[in-house]
Amino acid sequence: MRVDFILNGAPCSADAPPLARLLDVLRETLRLTGTKEGCGEGECGSCTVLLDGTPVNSCLVAFGQCEGRSVTTVEGLSGSGPLTPTQRSFVEEGGTQCGFCTPGVLVSLEALRTRDAHPSEGAIREAVAGNICRCTGYARIVAAARNAAGDGEPE
Amino acid sequence: MTSPPLAALPFVSPSGLPEVLGLLADRSARGDETVLLAGGTDWYVDRQARLPLPGLPLVVDLTRVTALRAIDLHGERLVLGGATTYEDLRRSPVVSSRAPLLARMAATVGAAQIQARGTLAGNLASGSPAADGVAALAALDADLVLASREGERRVRLADFYTGYRRSVRRPDELIARIEVALPGLPSRQAWRKVGARGAQAISKVALAGMAVVEEGRIARIGLGMASVAPTTSFLPSVRALALGRSPGELSGSTLDEATGRDISPIDDVRSTAAYRLHVARALVRNFFASLG
Amino acid sequence: MSAPVGRSVPRVDGPAKVTGKALYVDDLHPPGVLYGATVRSTLPRGRLRSLQPDPAFDWTGLTVVTAGDVPRNVVALIEDDQPILVPVGGEIRHRAEALALVAGEDRERVARAVRHLIAEVEPLPAVLSIAESMAARVVIHRDDNVQKRYRVVKGDGAEGLSRCEVVVTGTYRTPLQEQLYLEPQGVLAWWEAGKARLTGSLQCPYYVAKGIERAFDLPGAEIDVVQAVTGGGFGGKEEYPTLLALHALLLARKSGRPVKMVYGRQEDIEATTKRHPAEVEITTGCDRDGTFRAASIRIVMDGGAYVTLTPVVLSRGTLHASGAYRWEDVSIESCAVATNTPPNGAFRGFGAPQTIWAMERHVDRIARTLGVDPLELREKNLLRAGDTTATDQRLSGSVGVAECVARATEASGYRERRARGPAREGRKVRGIGVSVFFHGSGFTGSGEQKLKGTVAVDLLPGGRARVRSAATEIGQGTETVFRQIAAASLGLPVDGIDVSVPSTANVPDSGPTVASRTVMIVGSLVEKAAREIRDRVDGERSAGGGSFAEAGDRLLAREGAVSTVATYAPPPGVRWDDATYSGDAYPVFGWACDVAEVEVDLDTFETRVVEFWSAVDVGRAIHPGMCRGQIEGGTLQAIGWAMSEEVVTSGGQILNPRMTNYIVPTSLDAPPFTTILVEHPYAHGPGGGAKGLGELPMDGAAPAIASAVEHATGLVADALPLLPERLFELAQGARP
Repeated sequence: MRVDFILNGAPCSADAPPLARLLDVLRETLRLTGTKEGCGEGECGSCTVLLDGTPVNSCLVAFGQCEGRSVTTVEGLSGSGPLTPTQRSFVEEGGTQCGFCTPGVLVSLEALRTRDAHPSEGAIREAVAGNICRCTGYARIVAAARNAAGDGEPE
Repeated sequence: MTSPPLAALPFVSPSGLPEVLGLLADRSARGDETVLLAGGTDWYVDRQARLPLPGLPLVVDLTRVTALRAIDLHGERLVLGGATTYEDLRRSPVVSSRAPLLARMAATVGAAQIQARGTLAGNLASGSPAADGVAALAALDADLVLASREGERRVRLADFYTGYRRSVRRPDELIARIEVALPGLPSRQAWRKVGARGAQAISKVALAGMAVVEEGRIARIGLGMASVAPTTSFLPSVRALALGRSPGELSGSTLDEATGRDISPIDDVRSTAAYRLHVARALVRNFFASLG
Repeated sequence: MSAPVGRSVPRVDGPAKVTGKALYVDDLHPPGVLYGATVRSTLPRGRLRSLQPDPAFDWTGLTVVTAGDVPRNVVALIEDDQPILVPVGGEIRHRAEALALVAGEDRERVARAVRHLIAEVEPLPAVLSIAESMAARVVIHRDDNVQKRYRVVKGDGAEGLSRCEVVVTGTYRTPLQEQLYLEPQGVLAWWEAGKARLTGSLQCPYYVAKGIERAFDLPGAEIDVVQAVTGGGFGGKEEYPTLLALHALLLARKSGRPVKMVYGRQEDIEATTKRHPAEVEITTGCDRDGTFRAASIRIVMDGGAYVTLTPVVLSRGTLHASGAYRWEDVSIESCAVATNTPPNGAFRGFGAPQTIWAMERHVDRIARTLGVDPLELREKNLLRAGDTTATDQRLSGSVGVAECVARATEASGYRERRARGPAREGRKVRGIGVSVFFHGSGFTGSGEQKLKGTVAVDLLPGGRARVRSAATEIGQGTETVFRQIAAASLGLPVDGIDVSVPSTANVPDSGPTVASRTVMIVGSLVEKAAREIRDRVDGERSAGGGSFAEAGDRLLAREGAVSTVATYAPPPGVRWDDATYSGDAYPVFGWACDVAEVEVDLDTFETRVVEFWSAVDVGRAIHPGMCRGQIEGGTLQAIGWAMSEEVVTSGGQILNPRMTNYIVPTSLDAPPFTTILVEHPYAHGPGGGAKGLGELPMDGAAPAIASAVEHATGLVADALPLLPERLFELAQGARP
C-alpha cells in the first residue's frame, strides 16, 4: 500500500503493507534508524515519534493509519541544522548515556516544549513517564530539560 | 488458529460509520472475521506476543471515522464517542467539570504515548477485568450504544459482560457511543489506582467512586472496581448498603464484609488474592470516609 | 586551556546519540543480510531425542544449523561445560536453551520456521531451586550440584563467636534480577575470505574473539570482533554475546551470507544471564557496647545450569560479605549450586549487592538487639586506613568512608529525622534509613596480573593522538574519559584525542569492560602510554624546537609510526594467595554512604522513595558529571531491585518475561538525588587518583530503603523485593 504523509516536515511517500508497524516502515523502508525498538509492546517508549504532534509508540501504529498525517522522528528535531537547546543540554549535562532511550525521550520532550515552554519538574517527569531509561536515573534528563528551557538550577 | 503475518492482512480505512457497519454486517453474515482497529494498544501487543488471529480478518481502521470521537453534553447526558482517547478525556472541559473521575482515571493509564491512542471502546472491547476505563464507566453507570447496520441498541454497562472477556456485543456491532447520566452538582468523584509503579502499570486494584450526598444522605452511589473478579465489579452489596444512608453510619467492618462479598480476587503474576482483598477493602472504606 | 581532568566536558558520543545518527547493531543493513533466530527448549531438563524440520513447512531459501554443524561445540569461558547448541542425544539443561538456528531473508518467515523445527525431548527430573539443589536428590552437576566453593578465615574464624557477649543471627535473601538494558542483545556476523567478522552489542570484544577461536579452531589473526554502539550492558553483555556471536557465525558460514541476530525483549529476558539469587546466613558476635568482634557468614548462590562466570561472582560476593566493618574473627563459607534454569552471570555489583544487602540488614538487626541507633553502630565499627579486612588486607589509603558518612548524613538530616521517629500524616508515614558500603575496584586478587591488560597510544599528524584499547563505551563515558586522561598526559586539548572503536584486529587486549576497572586500571595504562608519547615528543622539541604538532610531525616523518604500549603491572607490595584466599583482594576500594527517605501508605503498603542522598568516595572525579551519572543510574537500578524487580519463575519458566510485567522504575518512580562526590585519591589511580565507580552504587540503596521502611513502619524485611504484598504479609505476621 502506498501512503503519502509528511515526514519531518517534508512530503514523503512510502510503500509497505498497511499493517506494517510505523516503526518498521521508518527503520527498514525509509532507513531512518534513529527510532528504536526496545520491547515491541508499547512499554519502553524507545519507539516514540510524534503523530500529528502527539507522542505515540510507533510500534503500535499501523502504517495504513498514517495517510495524510504528519510524523516527526528524532531526525526531524534538528534536521540538518544545529542541535536544539535540549539536544545540546543532553550532550553537556548527562541527559544521555547509552543513548538508546534518547531519541524517544527527546521526541516526548519536544512535544512538551511546544505545549509548555517552561515545564515544571513534575510536568517533565510526566512527559517522559512512558520512556524507560536504565542508565541515568532520570535526574539528568529532567535537569537537562529544565536547563534547556532556561529554568535550570545552578550546580 | 494461526498468527498470519501482518503483511498478509487486508486493511481498509473508511471515513464514515455506515461503511464500517456495512462491512461488519456483510462479513459477520458470512462468518468472516473483522478486526476494528483504533489505537492498537492492545491489538499490536497481542501480535507481538504472537497470539493467534482467527481466520484471516479484515482490519478496519477507525481512526478516520470522526463521528466516533466526539465528546458532547446533551442536557445532563455526557455522550462520548467510542474512539474517545484517554488524552481526549483529560483535555475535555466538559469531562473535567462534570465527570472528573474519567479524567483522573485517564491520567493513570499507561503514559502519554498510550493515552494519546488508547480508546474507551477498545478498553471495553478488550474485556479485561483490569481495564481502568471500564471501572470508571461502571462507577458512572454508563450505557453503551451498540451500533449495527440494523440500528442501535442501548445496553447498560452492568449488563454488557457475560463472563471473563465475553460480552453481549454481536459480531456485526461496534461500540459507537458511551453515555453517562451525569450526577448533579456537586458530586464526589474519586479514582484510586494501585499498581506496581507510577506509570505504565496495570491495576492490581483500582476503585472508581461517585456519590451524591443530599441532606447528609447518599442519594446516588456508583462504584467500579478493576482486577478483583472475572469482570469489572460494580460492588452491588456495597452500593446497596450505602444508598440512602449517611456516610458516617457506614462502619468499616460492615463495608469490609460487603466488599468481600462482591469480589473474588486471585493470585497472579501481578499480585495476590489476599493483598487485593485487603486493598479493595481499604479503598472502599477510604472512599466513604471521604464523603463524611 | 582549562585542565581536561576534573571537568564535565561534553560527551564525545553525545551528538550522534541525540540526533539518532548513532548506529546500533539493528541499525545496520548490509546488502544480502539474513535474519537469524533460535529454536529453544521448552523444558528445563531433558534428553534431546530428535530435532526434525516439519516436512509440511516450506524450507526453501532458509538455512538451518544444528549441533552437527558446530566444529567445537563449547562456549569457552571458565569451565567448558556449556554447548553452543544442544546435540541430539545430549542433555537440555534449562528452558530456552538453544537447540538449533534458522536464518532467512524475511524475519517473519524465519520466526515461523523456528516453530516448525520439532524437538522431541524426553523429560528428566529438574532441579529448580537452591533448596532442591542442595538436597541433591537429583544431581545435575558433578556429584553434588556444587559449582564452586570458597572459604575465608580471619583470626579464629567462627570460634571467635564463643567469646562474644551478644550473638545475633539472621538469614537474608535476594531474587533474580534482569539487567534490562534498553537495547536487546544483537550481533551481525559474516565471513570474509575465511576470516570471522562480527560487530555486536558488546562489553568484551576479546571474550567473543576467544570464544570464536575455540569454537572454530581459528587463530586470533583470522578474527575481527568490533563493538557497535551499545545500548547498555550492566554485565548482561559481558559473556552472553559470545554465545550469540557463535550462533550468528554458524548461520553465516552455512548460508554464505551476513547474518543479523537481534533478540526480541521476551526472548532476551527468557534466555540470557541474570543476577544470581542468593541466601545469606549471618551470625555475629559483638560486645555489649556494640564493638564488632566475630562474624560467621554462609552464602549460597544459584548459578543456573552452567558455570559461566559463577566462580567470579561468588568470589566477589564472598569478599564483600563482611561489609565495610572491622572484624577480628571472620569465617565465610560460600558455595554456588547448579539448577536447571538459564545460567546466571554478570550484573553490576557481581555478587556484592547480594552479600552487602545481607550484612547491612544484619547490622540493623544488631542495632535493634542492642537498642542502639543503626548509624552510631556503623560509625563505631567502620574500617579505617590501617585496619585489616576479612582477607587480612591492610587498607593503606584512600579510605573515604568516614567522610562519606558525615556528608550524606548531614545533607539528609539523617540523625535528627531518625531520632524523631516515623513521621505520620493521615494514612501515610515517612521514615529514613542509612547504609554504608564498599566495592573493590578492578579484578580480584591476581586477576589483573593474570590478565596483563594492554593499551596502545599512537601519535597522529598535526599534534593529535589516538588511544587504542578494548574498553567499550556502553553509556558510562569511556570514550570521553579516556580522551580527558590522554589529553592531560599529552598536554593536548580533549578534542585533540581520538579513541578507536574497539576492534580485536586493531586494539590490544586491555581486558573486559567489567569489574569497575575501566577508568582505574585501563585508564592508568592510557595515562602511562600517553605520557611516554609526550616524553618522546618533548625530547624532539628540546632537540629541534617547535610546537608539539611540529615536533610530532618531524618524529612521524623520521620514524614512520610513533606508538607506545602500556601493560598492567601490579603496584609494589600487592600480595594475594589464591590457595588460602587471603591477602590484598583488590588494589583499592570505593566507599559510599546512602540515605533514603521513604513514604509508606499504611493501607496499601505502596512505598515511595521520596528522596535519596549518596556520598561516594571516587578517589578523583575525572568527569564529575559522569560520576554523578553512574551514581544516580546505578542507584536507581538498585532501587528497582529493592522495590519491584524480581524475575518470577515456576517450573523453570519465567512468568514475567516482558516489560509490562518485569517492573523497572519510570521517571515517576525515581526520587530526586543528592549526589556528593568525595575524593580520597588512590595513589595509583589515573587523573590524580581515580578509583572504580560503576558498580558501587548498586550496593547500598536496597538496605538503606529497607532500613527506612523499618523506621517508618516497624516492619523488618530480610528479603527483596520490598513489594507491597510482602510488606502486607509482614504486617499480618506482626499482628498478635
